[in-house]
Amino acid sequence: MARILVADDSETILLLVRTRLEMEGHEVETAADGQEVLDALRRDPGNPPDILLLDAMMPRKSGMDALRELRAEGVVVPALIVSAHTDGDGDSGADAELGIDGYITKPIDFERLFRRIAELT
Amino acid sequence: MSPSLANRLTIGFAIAFAVLTGLAVIGVARFLQQRQDFEDATARSYQREIQARNRLVRGERPLAARATIVAQQDQRQVLRDEISSQTRDTALLVGAGLIAGLTGAALLFSGLIASMRRPLEDLVEASGKLAGGDLEARVRIGGLSETATLGGAFNEMAEELQRRAGERDQLDRMRDEFVLTASHELRSPLTSVQGFAELLMLEREKLTAKQTETVEVILDNSRHLVRLLNDLLDLARSDAGRLAIKRVPTEPAALIEEAARTMRAQLDTRGQLLSLEIEPDLPFVEADRDRIRQVLVNLLTNAHEYCPPEATVRVRATHRDSAVEIDVIDNGPGIPQQQMEHIFERFMRGDAGLTQRVGGTGLGLAISKSLIELHGGTIDAEPTPGGGATFRLRLPTGTVPDQETSRAGAEAS
Repeated sequence: MARILVADDSETILLLVRTRLEMEGHEVETAADGQEVLDALRRDPGNPPDILLLDAMMPRKSGMDALRELRAEGVVVPALIVSAHTDGDGDSGADAELGIDGYITKPIDFERLFRRIAELT
Repeated sequence: MSPSLANRLTIGFAIAFAVLTGLAVIGVARFLQQRQDFEDATARSYQREIQARNRLVRGERPLAARATIVAQQDQRQVLRDEISSQTRDTALLVGAGLIAGLTGAALLFSGLIASMRRPLEDLVEASGKLAGGDLEARVRIGGLSETATLGGAFNEMAEELQRRAGERDQLDRMRDEFVLTASHELRSPLTSVQGFAELLMLEREKLTAKQTETVEVILDNSRHLVRLLNDLLDLARSDAGRLAIKRVPTEPAALIEEAARTMRAQLDTRGQLLSLEIEPDLPFVEADRDRIRQVLVNLLTNAHEYCPPEATVRVRATHRDSAVEIDVIDNGPGIPQQQMEHIFERFMRGDAGLTQRVGGTGLGLAISKSLIELHGGTIDAEPTPGGGATFRLRLPTGTVPDQETSRAGAEAS
């Protein structure tokens, strides 16, 4: 089972995602925005989570911005972006540059999310 | 201030009138004067002749008197010749004057007409352009004050039209932006509602039958909201020219089978059958797989929702006239004739009595039409012989305008 860092600015969604992921047997840490994600990874660089699940749009620092900084620091943890947009995959060039491993559209299809997590671990 | 046509016409008429009247007066006066002179001279000549004849009767110097008589007769002949040539000259003079005056007047008026023609032609051309949607069309203002005023009014009107079109575009953009933002903002709470309802359903063995039913209602409605949001987003994108498709060579049969797989379970719940009649070796089409599947699923969902239980829904695919035709045929209640022409409009739905039961958003067909048209294809509906509705979509085979072109075209509009 995986250790997953989930970032979303909505506490309800964090609670929902944490509950579903823990029911699947995953270990979940949460962050309220991109800055908290960075803080968490910098606090213990030797022991990063297995997967990042980041909301694309958050106040202060978005999931995208946080990921950009992490990649610049050499962090290679797989990342899934949760987005409210239904566009599916975004700009493939930017995806490769930021190391985005997939998009999850809101409302979250948890069965699909579990499959993506299984593929990445 | 431009000269006015009315002024020019008035001045032109006055000058022409004065010139022609002057010529006529001079001609008549000259003619009368010449006539008077002729009559005076003739009268004097007769007087001299009579005096000579009297002298002859009295026998005074008869030779001289005879000579005077002859001389006066000759003199009158000369006067007669003179007057006739003078009359001819006057007539010629007046005639020439009239012709010159009329020619001058004609030149003046044709000049006036010519000076109006140019601005009027400009105006006609600009009106045509404006009517054709070129809101940049303006006329050059100049020439006579009437055409200048008309041109000015035309330009003001065009300016106003352009300004309003600009305002409308801005309102459209704001509306699209609003729909995009609203759809985005609504997704987070909807994620929570749907997610927690699903969480409850995972522990349904702990729920009472009544509670399970309640949670199912919440789930149904949140899924319906998601469909509405997705459809509204698609429409907003379509209106903004941002509904983009990614086309790849696609095997029609595979697409139809995918859509059928998606729909089978749903059709099964009402005991409905799905029969596929796909012509072998259909040519490939350039299609956005997800989007065409969305259209097919939409058509099949409609058939499923409007048809009675146990009905058969048929999908027939054929190759005809450089297009692949896919018909979705049902034997349901059909579409009333008066609704047929509106069914691809937004929020247009079938019989109001049915919509209570039917769960669509009323946007599916409008979006399907936009999507098929982005593919360079068409979608139509017609009654199925013997009852029901048939939806036919045609996707062109072979080379079709590539996606960049269609996207650029949409952005330009």
